[in-house]
Amino acid sequence: MRKVILLAIAAFLNAADLSQVIESPDATAILKKDALSAAKAVTMIEGCISNEPAVIARGKYIFHNLNGKDAKENPPEGLTRLLPDGKEKQMGNCVACHNIEGAKGYGNIGPDLSNYKALYMDSGARNGQFVYQKIADPRVDNAKTHMTVNLTNGLFNEREVCDLASYVMATKK
Amino acid sequence: MRLLSVTTALVCLALLSGANAEEKLSMSDADKAMYTEMLENNPAAMEVAEGEELFTSLIGQAAYAKMLGVKEKDLPKTIANFPRFVKPAGKVVTLSQTLQMAMADVGKPVLKLESKEVVKMTAYVKSLANGQKTSIDVKANPHMKEMMTLGQSVFEERRGGRGLSCNSCHSSDVIGQRLRMQPLPDLGAKETAAAGTWPAYRMTQSQMVTLDKRMQQCMKNALLAEIPLGSKEMVALEVYVTNKTKGNEIQIPGLKR
Ligand code: HEC
Ligand code: HEC
Repeated sequence: MRKVILLAIAAFLNAADLSQVIESPDATAILKKDALSAAKAVTMIEGCISNEPAVIARGKYIFHNLNGKDAKENPPEGLTRLLPDGKEKQMGNCVACHNIEGAKGYGNIGPDLSNYKALYMDSGARNGQFVYQKIADPRVDNAKTHMTVNLTNGLFNEREVCDLASYVMATKK
Repeated sequence: MRLLSVTTALVCLALLSGANAEEKLSMSDADKAMYTEMLENNPAAMEVAEGEELFTSLIGQAAYAKMLGVKEKDLPKTIANFPRFVKPAGKVVTLSQTLQMAMADVGKPVLKLESKEVVKMTAYVKSLANGQKTSIDVKANPHMKEMMTLGQSVFEERRGGRGLSCNSCHSSDVIGQRLRMQPLPDLGAKETAAAGTWPAYRMTQSQMVTLDKRMQQCMKNALLAEIPLGSKEMVALEVYVTNKTKGNEIQIPGLKR
């Protein structure tokens, strides 16, 4: 008698438990690998900010393009559409959030960076190190920023961040 | 309400057709006609109908209601309450996951969440609740509370190639601003009604897409690793996003850019 009841309970539990058939993959490893390191203060390298046309051209290209694959124009010297492993190279897509001279289809989540030199640099409100840090890792200056992280997560190297900072700070047209 | 989303979509369509920023509020007559036509005649309606056929032959409303432990006539009300804790699952699940449970319960092979069949059946089952208001209850039990907390942290966690989070583009202080030329939608607003309008037909992709898939698309675009469908974190995101639009009317299939 007792055995029958136990069997009945077991059968009932079996029928009612559908947890095992639900597709429910474990995402922990994916999220761990995708995690962002803590905000990091960085100092720009010697000769970072430059007026060299080649530097400005690279900064401009990274600023206005999403990635190497979709870019309309060929990259300037020192940049490639693909990475050595054959994957597309990501660009900055800064124009998604910022207006700047010559921007097409820009967004306005971030401040307008047009006429940056006159408004922000010559006025003394900003300096090269500030711009470099902002692009490298904006969380240092604003923990809640909506801006992308560009250096401390390995998206760009130091030289590329210098290219971007040089372009933003340069006098244009 | 409808008018608002039409306007948004018209603007978006204009952007799609390669218009530059200055022209972005205008669009060709052909695009306008296409959108109006689709509003009247949503291409995904056919997929919902196919979902009905599949659901009826594979599971049926009676078996589905029984598996959920509710009366058949209470299905619309129950469906409007998802994602929710379901006893035979032992956890909080999405509508698509309940379809997997129901398939197993009636002895049918369990199809993948990604499969066309599950997507279509999900749309059909959700359409049973058309006209109802989304009624998710994130305080209903400890399971829901836990998922709401997890969903919020997944939503706010910066990660991926650009160090962005969902919140970077969907927090209240950036709503309505533009990313490139796309206005950032308020996921909780009546005219977006994110939870009540997915699965929706995406015109840019010419296919019907579920809410979790739509969120994966945002992840992909923003260089965040895609969280797999059905994972605890993905269900939690759906809980969090659905709760933002709680009270909005369910209208399946939706129509999105
Ligand atoms: C997703 C949006 C977004 C993207 C993409 C973005 N930014 Fe920003 N940016 C912001 C916001 C928002 C601010 C305002 C300050 C803050 O929150 O840190 C900002 C601030 C700045 C500033 C400081 C302006 C000042 O002097 O106050 C600079 C310089 C800048 N961004 C450059 C860039 C560059 C270069 C890129 C591309 C590599 C870029 N941004 C990509 C959103 C963005
Ligand atoms: C870089 C910006 C960005 C990020 C990061 C982002 N989104 Fe989005 N999201 C958008 C834009 C822009 C749209 C509207 C696009 C359109 O109109 O097709 C959107 C649309 C959506 C929608 C559909 C709204 C509707 O119409 O019903 C959902 C849901 C959504 N996002 C969720 C998320 C989630 C969850 C995450 C994080 C995993 C995320 N998004 C990350 C920019 C972003």
